[in-house]
Amino acid sequence: MDPVLIKMALCGLAVLGCIGLFFGIGLALAAHKFAVEVNPKVEEVLEVLAGAQ
Amino acid sequence: MKNFRREYLILSILAVLGLILLGGCKPEHRFIKKTAFKDINSIVITFAGPVDEAWAKNISNYSIYEKPDPDIKLKIGQVSISPDKRTVVLTFEEDLNQDQPHILNISEIISEGKSLGTAFVKVKKLYFGYLFSILIGAMIINNFVFAKYLGLCVFFGTSQKKSTAVGMGITFTIVIVFSAMMAWFLYQFVLKPYRLDFLQIVVFIGLVSLSVQAVDTILRKVNPALFKAFGVYLVLVIANCIVIAVPLILADNEYNGWESLMLALGAGLGFLIALFLMSSVRERLDLANVPTTYRGLPIAFVVAGLFALAFMGFSGMSIF
Repeated sequence: MDPVLIKMALCGLAVLGCIGLFFGIGLALAAHKFAVEVNPKVEEVLEVLAGAQ
Repeated sequence: MKNFRREYLILSILAVLGLILLGGCKPEHRFIKKTAFKDINSIVITFAGPVDEAWAKNISNYSIYEKPDPDIKLKIGQVSISPDKRTVVLTFEEDLNQDQPHILNISEIISEGKSLGTAFVKVKKLYFGYLFSILIGAMIINNFVFAKYLGLCVFFGTSQKKSTAVGMGITFTIVIVFSAMMAWFLYQFVLKPYRLDFLQIVVFIGLVSLSVQAVDTILRKVNPALFKAFGVYLVLVIANCIVIAVPLILADNEYNGWESLMLALGAGLGFLIALFLMSSVRERLDLANVPTTYRGLPIAFVVAGLFALAFMGFSGMSIF
């Protein structure tokens, strides 16, 4: 295997990984900042109901 | 007192901007007032004063090339000069590619017996005109829905009511501008330097879902009513082909930042126009007496086809 190609592939992995990590953290922060308070009772009631559909 | 000061500040900012703009408009040579393309194969040069006719008529005084290829000189067919000797028209043997800036070299300008030196001038189309033509092109002439048949699923899904249609169009425009600008940035400054442009589709899809997710998160908090009105369609933007077509087109054409912005804005506004037109028709269709077999989606497809026919009237048009 050509070492240039291997280098390119590794480079691609690293770059894409960095992009993914960066935007992932950004999204997580945004989700934290714009969190909507959901009434916990809604989930509890849904869990008790028969949820086939 | 405070208001007065603010007006003062705004005025001075405007004045500085104006100065910068004026400075930017300065021609390259003080004796050449203006250069511009005319028709498809000629260039008009306007001088500040009368030039020597014998000098102006000599073809070997001019040499011109397209900016990217300095060693390919274009052949000049004939030179004509206006009666007041201030305007010279160069006519070329072949048509000019006016999308490229041309460099014109005029040697030893002679005016009233005096030599005024050699001038290098750039001949180009007005850049704002070019940007505007990208915007209008993406919005109307090559409307993504009616001329390229992209994004039809969301188009038919959200065009039942005018209010949803307009809301969807606006969200779509925001999402597409957001994701196209990020796509442009990543393509030009990350993918191309690392020679990873073969991964562009993967990256663009990720970017689109990222921007949809971001809009979803923010809208849920900021405007719950609008969020409820969109329902499932906001998430459907991910499945819209326009939102992936725009980054691919701008990567293909090597657009710069402004051109990408105009393309994305044009695509978004074009989709908004399409949705608005369609929803106005469909609201009326609800009241019309449509045969049972055609009711609902079938008649909507027929109407979309008619719209596409109407938009074909714009095809082949060019602005500026």
